[in-house]
Formats: sequence, structure tokens, C-alpha cells
Amino acid sequence: MLMRRALGWATPILSLVGLLAVWEWAVGARILRESFFPPPSGIWQQATMLYASGGLAGHVAATVARLVAAFLLAALPGVAVGLLTGLSATAREAFDPFVAFIYPIPSLLYLPLAALVLGPGELPAALVCAVTPFFVIALNTALGVRSIDRPTVEAAVHYGATGRRLFQKVLLPGALPYVLVGFRVGLGLTLIVLIAVEMVSAKQGLGALLWQSWEILRVRNMYVGLALIATLGVLVTSGFDAIARRLVPWHQGPARSTRRP
Amino acid sequence: MKVVVEGLALTFRTAAGDVHALQDVSLSVGPGEFVCVLGPSGCGKSSLLRVLAGLIEPSRGSVRITREKDAERPLTAMVFQDHALLPWRNVFDNVVFGPENRGVPKSERLRLGEEVLAKVGLTGFEKAYPHQLSGGMKQRVGIARALANDPAVLLMDEPLAALDAQSRLLMQEELMRIWGTFGKTVIYVTHSIEEAILLGERVVLLTARPGRVKATFGVDLPRPRTLGARAESEFIRLEAEIWSLLRDEVLASDRGQTGITR
Repeated sequence: MLMRRALGWATPILSLVGLLAVWEWAVGARILRESFFPPPSGIWQQATMLYASGGLAGHVAATVARLVAAFLLAALPGVAVGLLTGLSATAREAFDPFVAFIYPIPSLLYLPLAALVLGPGELPAALVCAVTPFFVIALNTALGVRSIDRPTVEAAVHYGATGRRLFQKVLLPGALPYVLVGFRVGLGLTLIVLIAVEMVSAKQGLGALLWQSWEILRVRNMYVGLALIATLGVLVTSGFDAIARRLVPWHQGPARSTRRP
Repeated sequence: MKVVVEGLALTFRTAAGDVHALQDVSLSVGPGEFVCVLGPSGCGKSSLLRVLAGLIEPSRGSVRITREKDAERPLTAMVFQDHALLPWRNVFDNVVFGPENRGVPKSERLRLGEEVLAKVGLTGFEKAYPHQLSGGMKQRVGIARALANDPAVLLMDEPLAALDAQSRLLMQEELMRIWGTFGKTVIYVTHSIEEAILLGERVVLLTARPGRVKATFGVDLPRPRTLGARAESEFIRLEAEIWSLLRDEVLASDRGQTGITR
């Protein structure tokens, strides 16, 4: 068991290190063109240089702050709407057309409209990033409410959980595993839209770093941006998984086994 | 009498028309009595318990349950067939769920929970979650939850139906032991003749749907009983007698379900 666990960690790390080693070797052997594919060691050097010159931390901080803000903007109303639509068929029917029309549109497309109405700045960017995760969280929360076993609810009511107690002690914990799945998938989607928003409209942030580097053909900086975005994604989701496992110790379903959005 | 059911009828309205689950059921249960309600599948015996539990309203007739002590005490507590524990609560928190909702102070809940868990043999499993327990253990938690609520009448809806044959035997013995220590008034629904005779002081036989009381049998076997009681001549005689009556109902129920009449 322990052996299997250690290997479970070792395999992805080894495969990543292996890929980087092959890449490094291929550049050295002139199979890959260095101007397009700078070696990992060179990207690392560039990252430490950028960090030392003070430019990198600001980009990372800007992206993380926007990620948190946009996620909160999505999560709070998402859970509220999800609970409502999970409990009431009327609410669900009223919500359905919005899901049908707004959810499928890549939410980056709302950016011009949001900027027009709200003026350029952080608020329209955060709102645009919150659209898709809002729907994901609302839909998952509603599914969570509906997934609670009927006999379980009946038994809880029989043992005195009515009104507010039913909500606090049965509906919320019952839906929680699905809410967390919604959060996890929603976080990933927030990051995706956020990077796109930063590419088109921000001066600071990892998306902005990537785009500015492309415009002046600073290839190594592009790779630094890419690597940081990927790392941020991994940290956010694995960190979230660790929190989720503590929040739902009773659950062995989606919140635990879903490893990818 | 502890429980008096008079002229009870229950009709469900469905898209396909009215389904008469129960028709004119009358039944009395004395204090501390263990009554088993036996009948073919779908005869409305679970519906009878749900009416007694107040989960559904009868279409006609009345249910009177007397509580002798304080009014805070619930009239009934049900042990559900599929245990229906709250998966997000550990064993202890499931057991004291009823008292918690009634506002029983924490120190009192702690004492009560431990006492009841000891009685059902689950001391040491307080922190376990339901998914970590076997079927038999889950049902013990369900029984402990009902006992912790200290109801006037304990209702049990085929609590052992979901268990495998061996766990069933073990739990039947457990139930006899637990009842011996608590002496509660119990109404126990089952479709197993053997279980009904083994556990009950009285066996009430219901007809196929719509359920009516077809016959009542007193079980004249000494208590406390063990599984050995199954070898007694009185047990065997009763089993044969009940089966001869139940058999017709099972056949009637089967015909009713297929919709084919001859």
C-alpha cells in the first residue's frame, strides 16, 4: 500500500523530468531549434533573472488576486442559485434558459460589453471570468441537492430535522461533495478565462506577460509565462483537492475520485 | 393500550388510478409488547408503519399512541429498512441526531449516545462513518438512533431485509437481547415468518393489497428466546399454521402484480 502510494507520486514526477531531459538533450543535439524551443535550463535561468529584476512577482500576484476575486464572484451566487434550483422545480425551469443561452458562449466574448458598460478596469475582467464557473458551480450544487437520497431526507425529518435544521444538517452537507466538484472545475475554468482576459486587456498578470513577450518576440519570457500558468493550475487544483478531502471525510464519490475537470 | 389503530385506510392517488394500500386495519398494542406485522410484499405493511410514524396521513381511520411520561418524548422512532443514516455524520452524531434536534444539552447527549451504543455493541465505533461499516453494523446504528430518541413506540420496517442470511441470524439474536434490556413497545414489520415468530409476542398477519388484518397469533414461547427456539414444536406448529394462511395471500399478491387473472 505504502509502496503503491510512493510510486503514485514518483510516476508523474519521473515522466515530467524525463520529458524535460529529452527536451534539453534535443536542443543540445540541434534536433529542436533553440529560438523556438529554448532548453528548460535556459527557461529556468530566465525565470530567476526576471524574478530578481522584480518583474515576475507582480505578474503572479495580479493573476492570483484576480483568480480569487473572480472565483468568489462565481462561487457565492453559484451556490445560492444552485441550492434554489436544486430545491424548487420552478426555480430550475426559470434558470434553464440562462443556462441554455449564456453558458455555451465562451465568456471572453462578454469582455467588450462588460468593459463598455462598466468602463475598463478590474471589475469587468473579474465578472467575465466569473460567468462560466458560476454556471458550473450552480449546476453542480443543484445536482448535489437532488442527489440526496429521499429516504435519508425522510429519516432526518422523522428525527426532527425540519425547517432551518433540515437545511443546515441535511441539505447543505448532502450537497457539499457536489458543490466541491463544482468549485474545483470552476476554479480551473476561471483560470482559463482569466489568462485569456489578461492576454487581451491587462498590463499585469501572467496572461499579459505571455502576450507582451510574444509581441516583442521574447521567446524565453513566453515560456516562463506558460510554465508559471501551468504551475499555478496544478497548485490550485491539488491544493483544492487537499482541502476538499478534509471537508468531506465521509465521501468517496466525485469529490475524491475526480482528478480532472 | 399503548397503540390503538382503528379502521385505518390508506389510498394513494396515482396517474394509473387509486391504489388501495390499506383497508380497515384495526390493531391494538399493549405497553412493552413486541408485535410483528407479517404479510406478502406490497401488502401495505410498510405503509402502516409510515402512518404510525406520522410520515403519511391516513385516508380514513385513526391512530392513537399514548405517551406516559413527559410530552417532550417523541411518540415514535423508526428503524428504516435501508438504515437511512446520514452519510456525512459519524456513528455517534447519527445516534444522537434526534436528541440534538430536540435541544437535549450536549453533556446529556454524550451520556445518552454512549449508553445506547454500548447496548447495541458499537462502543469504539463512535467516529466511524456509515460507509465504513458493514450492513449489520449500519442497522445497529439505525436501532441505536431510534433508541436514543426514547420513543413511546419503536417502529421497525424490515430492518434486517437488506442483510445476508448469516448477518440476519446474528442480528435476530441481537434484537432479542436488545429488546430484553430495553423492554420497549415495538411494532416490527417483516416478510419472514420465522423472524416474526422468533421476535414477536404476537404476530399480525395482513392480507395482500389492500392490506387488512387476516389473523392474529399469540406466540407462546418462553423469553428470552434464542435461535434454538426454532426447534421447539410450538414454533414449528405456528410456522406451518401461519404459512398455510400466508400462502394464499402471496399467491393473490403475485396475481395482483402481474395483472393476470384466471
